[in-house]
Amino acid sequence: MGSMRRPPAPPISGKNCDDPVLDYKDTENLRRFLSAHGQLLSRKRTGYCTQCQKQLKQAVKRARHLALLPFVG
Amino acid sequence: MTTVYEGMFLLDNQVVREDWKKAKAIITDALKKHGAQVLCARRFDERKLAYPIRRRRRATYCLAFYQMGSEGQTALRRDFELNENVLRYLMLARENLPEGELELAAAEDAADFNVPTPPPDDAPDAPGGGRRREGGEAGGLDELGEARLETRDGDVEDGDVPGKDD
Repeated sequence: MGSMRRPPAPPISGKNCDDPVLDYKDTENLRRFLSAHGQLLSRKRTGYCTQCQKQLKQAVKRARHLALLPFVG
Repeated sequence: MTTVYEGMFLLDNQVVREDWKKAKAIITDALKKHGAQVLCARRFDERKLAYPIRRRRRATYCLAFYQMGSEGQTALRRDFELNENVLRYLMLARENLPEGELELAAAEDAADFNVPTPPPDDAPDAPGGGRRREGGEAGGLDELGEARLETRDGDVEDGDVPGKDD
């Protein structure tokens, strides 16, 4: 009776981030990196390196400020 | 030394309904007043806001690129803060003007360009505009399921609350 652990979901951006262009105006792209509650997904799920994850965070925060993306829900 | 800036301005639909050129002039005049050279300004979009701002549920976005020194920035920001027609603004320094922006702005200035009148404040967004994810009939169930998994794994990183960071 071994525990059946669900395999982890593949990263959204692919294995390598390859310097993505993350713009706060591109909300359709940014929405892919948000959970159903509007929270930013972890690096494990996005597949981004430290620098790209920071860029993603900054872009999402700018989009939220302009009401392009929600803070919650 | 001058820097190229990108400014995104959220305009009240009431002003846009009266006249788009007048609404755009609110932005460009304020920029010129503080010594900026406006490279281009255009209507970015009109959409339903993700959350209400000053009781407005819809607004028009104006995207402008301008060149100015750093000395007038504080006064410019103060002007936009006090302007009732500008709901929000975001100003960022850019390395250069993005390709295609001049053409888009020039197309808007053409005589035959027609700016659509903004719909009423309670009108729903265009199909697909406010959706969260692509999906079929089971889209809602999938979203719930994924959210549950994320919470269980502790996979969510950013726990911002409204108005906390800005």
